[in-house]
Amino acid sequence: MIWVGWRQQRWETIVAAAILAAIAALLIPTGLSMLSSYNNDGLNSCAGALQGGACDAAARSFIHEFDGIGNLIAWFTLVPGIIGILLAAPFVTDLERGTYRLDWTQGITRRRWIAGKLGIAVVTAIVAAGVFIALVTWWRTPLVRVQGRMDNSVFDSEGIVAIGYALFALGLAAAIGAIWRRTVPALVSAFALYFAVRLFVDTWLRQRLVSPLHATWAVNGRGPSLDKAWILSQVPTDQHGHALSLTVLNCSKAAGATCNTAVPTKGAVQYFQTVYHPPSHFWPLQSVEFALFAGAAALLLGLAALWTARRVA
Amino acid sequence: MIEFHVETRSGVPTYLQIVQQVRRAVRLGVLRPGDQLPTVKDVVAGLAINPNTVLKAYRELDLEGVTEGRRGIGTFVREHVDALPQQDVKQLRTSLQKWVAHARAAGLDDEMIGALFADIVRPTTISSVAS
Amino acid sequence: MSDVPVLRTEDLGKRYGSTWALRDCSLEIPAGSITALLGPNGAGKTTLLQLAVGLSRATTGQLEVLGLSPWADQETLLPRVGFVAQERPLHRSFTIAETLKLGRVLNTTWDDDLAVSRIESLGLRLSQTVGKLSGGQQAQVALTLALAKRPDLLLLDEPVASLDPLARREFLGTVMEAVAETGMGVILSSHIVADLERVCDHLVILSHARPLLVGPLDELVACHRLLIGPRTDPATVARVHAVIHESHTDRQSSLMVRANGHVYDTCWEQHEVGLEDVVLAYLGQRHGPAERVLEEAVR
Repeated sequence: MIWVGWRQQRWETIVAAAILAAIAALLIPTGLSMLSSYNNDGLNSCAGALQGGACDAAARSFIHEFDGIGNLIAWFTLVPGIIGILLAAPFVTDLERGTYRLDWTQGITRRRWIAGKLGIAVVTAIVAAGVFIALVTWWRTPLVRVQGRMDNSVFDSEGIVAIGYALFALGLAAAIGAIWRRTVPALVSAFALYFAVRLFVDTWLRQRLVSPLHATWAVNGRGPSLDKAWILSQVPTDQHGHALSLTVLNCSKAAGATCNTAVPTKGAVQYFQTVYHPPSHFWPLQSVEFALFAGAAALLLGLAALWTARRVA
Repeated sequence: MIEFHVETRSGVPTYLQIVQQVRRAVRLGVLRPGDQLPTVKDVVAGLAINPNTVLKAYRELDLEGVTEGRRGIGTFVREHVDALPQQDVKQLRTSLQKWVAHARAAGLDDEMIGALFADIVRPTTISSVAS
Repeated sequence: MSDVPVLRTEDLGKRYGSTWALRDCSLEIPAGSITALLGPNGAGKTTLLQLAVGLSRATTGQLEVLGLSPWADQETLLPRVGFVAQERPLHRSFTIAETLKLGRVLNTTWDDDLAVSRIESLGLRLSQTVGKLSGGQQAQVALTLALAKRPDLLLLDEPVASLDPLARREFLGTVMEAVAETGMGVILSSHIVADLERVCDHLVILSHARPLLVGPLDELVACHRLLIGPRTDPATVARVHAVIHESHTDRQSSLMVRANGHVYDTCWEQHEVGLEDVVLAYLGQRHGPAERVLEEAVR
């Protein structure tokens, strides 16, 4: 069955490898040039805090140079999902075309067939996602040293979450395909759902997976170290951390110093409250998000397996 | 080697058609004593008919004494079967050819030749089947 | 070859949702027979074959194939049953060699020499891609796959539909050759009566999910008669013989009957019938008992 599963997945595996090769072809040259830029600009020695002076300027120009391509690469975060969905195609096509009837009437049980096909797809998805992560993480090393990796568009191709994405997409496509049994509509709708879920997680759920830190700090005092942190919100507050009302804010902003002094003790923008995830939250956030996606993947794959085993003739 | 033909719509059971074709072949000398009949396997592969039909036909031929089955080897035409002497068949053939040439020269077309022939043959055929 | 019936069912039924695809199916097919499974589309032929090979599970009743239960004893039964599904599914991107490898890998009993020699005798090369073969060639490859495990029973679901007459003849010839060699049983479904007439010795007619006629083919055809006579009520005849189909003009009546012994009534002209006539009569039953019961059940 292992051979059969691999052979039936051959085309999809090649396409996935080609996608990764294309990404590598883009990333490796630009990555090398970025690395040399980084070293030449002396940013190497700036590693760590970037406050003040030459380091700051150098960092800014470095970011400016590579931010464009960085944003482009950020879209690649969809690639593990695309590969996952692609790898579900052999499973669904077999069901659509009826060729599973050929396999099931040789000598193996349908359980072994399902386990074999989905198992091989899972392994391939993990490997592909791993290669993807390795490529992108390597490429982004200089940028991460300068900017950190907590930003939303960076986070999802670092660490391990992309493996979860690939498995989730695979499970989604397999489950929809097992029920619908038409390849193209199943894969397309799986992608649409995957995209929606990713969007939801990226924009709303991720920040809530781990409790963020709250810090209230005085304007002319020392704030928390927000270097390379993921800032969720930063609002002017009073010393107890309560947000200031608009009138007070308007006064503070509009009249400048005059307004400042006209409104006595209460009102002046003297404190900020920042809600943020420090870099130390990177792995906790990664783990929870990975667990969510991988867990969902397991459920979906289980559904696909059970549905096919029980309902199909 | 003889090749069988089967007409499913002729009203004659398939096995009987095979029996008749073997008998005819033996009489005309197409099959000679000692010749092997095609194996059941080869017959059904070519004709797409039930093997039991062929087995039934061969069994019938065996009972009639036309053939004999040799275990593990095949079915063979028996030695003393009354076949027409080849000379007679050849002579009849030649005289028929001459007759047909005469008929054509007289202006008969193929259809009329066939009708004339059938008219003569039919009475004789019926009596030979009945016996 | 043992004497265990190739197929034995008792009140077998299969329901999908609220529709019965097969019901009240009780029949027995003896060992070593070549059985025709006839009926219009949707009659239950595919359902019966899928139940027999363990692709689906019966809703009611009992089913034994070669003495085993297809669903419960699937792993023991599969090596003994060869199956070619409708539209003879094959992986189109595989080569013939890879298709045979699939058979070798997924089967517990497999005669590779037999498979390869069959392919070669068909004039095909192992390196050819399945998707590029003609319909007839693909059917032969699918058949090779089923035969190479040396089954005791071969189930073919409309194997020659959409094939040209030559390809049909060659396919059935291959099946008969295999039967001559091994004595295995065959159940094949089709709606091409002419093919089945040459090849089969047993008959099952299905219509509207029910079996209408089951038995040895020659005997069954021989005991049916077409009676033609002046316009009358078939009641007298129906008391003794089963009237399968009747049609009347204002002057004449024709009845297809399954004779229970001789038909003595001299006002009828008796004609022997062929398989096609019998099948058409059974399938054309508009107000036969089976139809009526079904209509009532649906309401």
